[in-house]
Amino acid sequence: MWAFAQDYATAVFGDLLDPQKRVFWGYLASAWLISFLWLFVRRRAGLVRAAGEFFSAASWLTRSARADYLVFLLNGAIMMLLAPALLSQLTIAYALFQWMHGWFDGRPMLQWSPGAIAAAFTVTLFVADDLARYWVHRMLHRVPALWAFHKVHHTATSLNPLTVFRTHPMEGILFSLRGAVVQGGCVAPFIFFFGDRVELVTVLGASAFTFAFNALGSNLRHSHVALGYWRWLEFVVMSPAQHQVHHSIDARHVDRNFGATLSFWDWLFGTHCHSQTREPLVFGVRGADGPGAHRLASLYLLPFAEAFRAVASKLPGTRAGQRAVAAAE
Amino acid sequence: MTFSKLPILALTVLVGSGAAANVHAEADVYGNFPVTVPGYAGDHTDSTSYAGQIARHLLHNSLKKLAGQGDGSNAEALREQMMAYYDGKGPGREILDPRSQGAFVVAQQTIDEVSRERNLSGSVYGGQVTGWPGNMTGDEVLRFMIDKAAHTTGGIDPLTGYNYQQLISKFLMGAVFYNQAVDKYLDENLSPDVKPNDKPYSEGAPYTGKEHSWDEAFGYFGAPAHALELDAETAYLIAKADESVLAAADRNGDGKVDLYTEMTYAHAYYAADADKSGKTDYLHTITQAFVDGRKLLVEAGGEALTDAQRATLRGYADTIKTAWEKVIAEAAFKYAGSVYADLEKLKIIVESNGDPSKAFRGYVTHWGELKGFAMALQTSGRDLGETAVRLNRLIGYGPVLLGGGQVTGIDADGNYQIGGSRDLGEYMVHMIKVQQLLGEAFDLVARKNDVTGGMEKLVKDLGESKSAEND
Repeated sequence: MWAFAQDYATAVFGDLLDPQKRVFWGYLASAWLISFLWLFVRRRAGLVRAAGEFFSAASWLTRSARADYLVFLLNGAIMMLLAPALLSQLTIAYALFQWMHGWFDGRPMLQWSPGAIAAAFTVTLFVADDLARYWVHRMLHRVPALWAFHKVHHTATSLNPLTVFRTHPMEGILFSLRGAVVQGGCVAPFIFFFGDRVELVTVLGASAFTFAFNALGSNLRHSHVALGYWRWLEFVVMSPAQHQVHHSIDARHVDRNFGATLSFWDWLFGTHCHSQTREPLVFGVRGADGPGAHRLASLYLLPFAEAFRAVASKLPGTRAGQRAVAAAE
Repeated sequence: MTFSKLPILALTVLVGSGAAANVHAEADVYGNFPVTVPGYAGDHTDSTSYAGQIARHLLHNSLKKLAGQGDGSNAEALREQMMAYYDGKGPGREILDPRSQGAFVVAQQTIDEVSRERNLSGSVYGGQVTGWPGNMTGDEVLRFMIDKAAHTTGGIDPLTGYNYQQLISKFLMGAVFYNQAVDKYLDENLSPDVKPNDKPYSEGAPYTGKEHSWDEAFGYFGAPAHALELDAETAYLIAKADESVLAAADRNGDGKVDLYTEMTYAHAYYAADADKSGKTDYLHTITQAFVDGRKLLVEAGGEALTDAQRATLRGYADTIKTAWEKVIAEAAFKYAGSVYADLEKLKIIVESNGDPSKAFRGYVTHWGELKGFAMALQTSGRDLGETAVRLNRLIGYGPVLLGGGQVTGIDADGNYQIGGSRDLGEYMVHMIKVQQLLGEAFDLVARKNDVTGGMEKLVKDLGESKSAEND
């Protein structure tokens, strides 16, 4: 039990010290700095407001925020228990590596320079991961049974950097699977063709892209600091304010901006929306903003019932299906 | 490729990798332990004694040398000569390896100069060897291989792909040295009633039962007595009789390398080989545990061990057994990688209609080492369960031959049966799986010739994605 408690504390609070994680203290500090500079220099806010906006009570001390913190703490334990059962990237990489011997009838090695291999691997991994994030996110919104779980994240009516952890564990499992497929799917072919010369370009142990994305204010995505980019840049990179649009309940913003780092995918697949920094946005899910929306029981259990109803409605033989058919008629 | 020293985020603390320093200052030497036998009346002042084990190392080295000396016409004479080293105990047996090489002069020329009336066959693993066809015991496998080796040219049978020099050597190191040390001396003989510490090992002996058992296990490991003063590279080169390490080997400074105390043999050599990677420290870990255990026995002062002393001694024994098993698994891992690379070469040669004979020799040599180590792993007396089953199935009874065949069994007359139709590419995948299996089952670190090119490390560097974190 003590060992579990120690592992739990390390897993949960270790994120604050891990540069691979978005809530690493350095990234939180850089988010604050960017927020301060943007508000003070660009928006000409007063010194106190510019410095304090990132820490506003409307962002950190609401009922919604308190639910974020509880979900963060509870999920830490749940995911620790689930982790051993989840498919690992190494399992996928090994399987793919072995299959490739059959597909290529042996192992044709390629002779590239170390720099080229590292650059190619780092870029491939980043692009594949970001694309997978776009499509999984899009599915989470478009497939009713998945939306039931993803809605937990969107019922947040205030945003702060820990809202990133306001996630149903079922979604956590899906993200783990996504990560395993993408990482395993990238590692295997690179090792197959380049052997032990494959390296990731890293800064402080994190992929250079992850580092750049996080150091340049990724934590402002879940905040009330509406930092937008130039219009041309918002076609390529997702600004914090664009992600806030994604959380907006405004009908014009629903199912827009699914991208993680790149907004390019949204532009390519027709879900792009520019940031809106003039009017304040209202965050949440229309119809799911009652006081019960932030209760743990609602956040953890209701999605199962809703997902079940969504699946059952597709099955004509069930009562839910019959009700759905009758309603449609 | 990293940029890891940004001052703004300097909170990250660099933690040591765990690979220990290679050279121990003022290191312990295994030897010169005082006599503690109660009432001992003899002349000895040093109770250390493992000459019988070193004699067996020399018998093994010599037998390996002989196994490669078949010329197609000397089978019976060669078989008899090999059996003299394996089974015989007679006097006059020359040490065929190691021998003096230039300035690297060895002190002994015959087995008897180290210890008399020793053989290998009396100390072989008695269980069934499931990795080899024919349902044989360890002793039967070795006799069978010796007979077959005598009928080859250069120790290699091209029809089966067996390199008997490697098979005999690598399997024997497990079936004799490893088995005797970990299953008998470091296990059975640590029990209170077996070879007690308050009695001499045998009547008149200057060492107690426990002291000599411990020494015998150390002897089988094969490390020089001053291994803790040597780095991995030096310990490794001593086994090669390399002139450049003469001074390091010759600890007593008499200008000769004493084969009893100053030579590296068997698994100590492979421990050093793994440690050369800089990722492991098996040689020193094992030797230090031997030295610490022996010191504990000296401190026991010829009294029966207390429960606490026995528990501590068993702790040292467990350290040795765990690391020793890893050493053998690391060696098997390495040679699985070599076989994989050989197969890759062979495929290219065969597809371009080249001459595969040289590459084939390299392939079957590495395969013999892989197979020998894989069989040796299964002689510890510890049931490896599914790991052993999968390992034996993946490697098979023989290497996949260029025509796709593989030894599948032995008939009633002792002839090999060849069947199956695996291609070389498929067998390459088997080698990947062998490495994966060994790496996971034994938690390997050195991982030489890793065909997945450090895939595990790369994946680890990418970080876990097992947290519920949204976009």
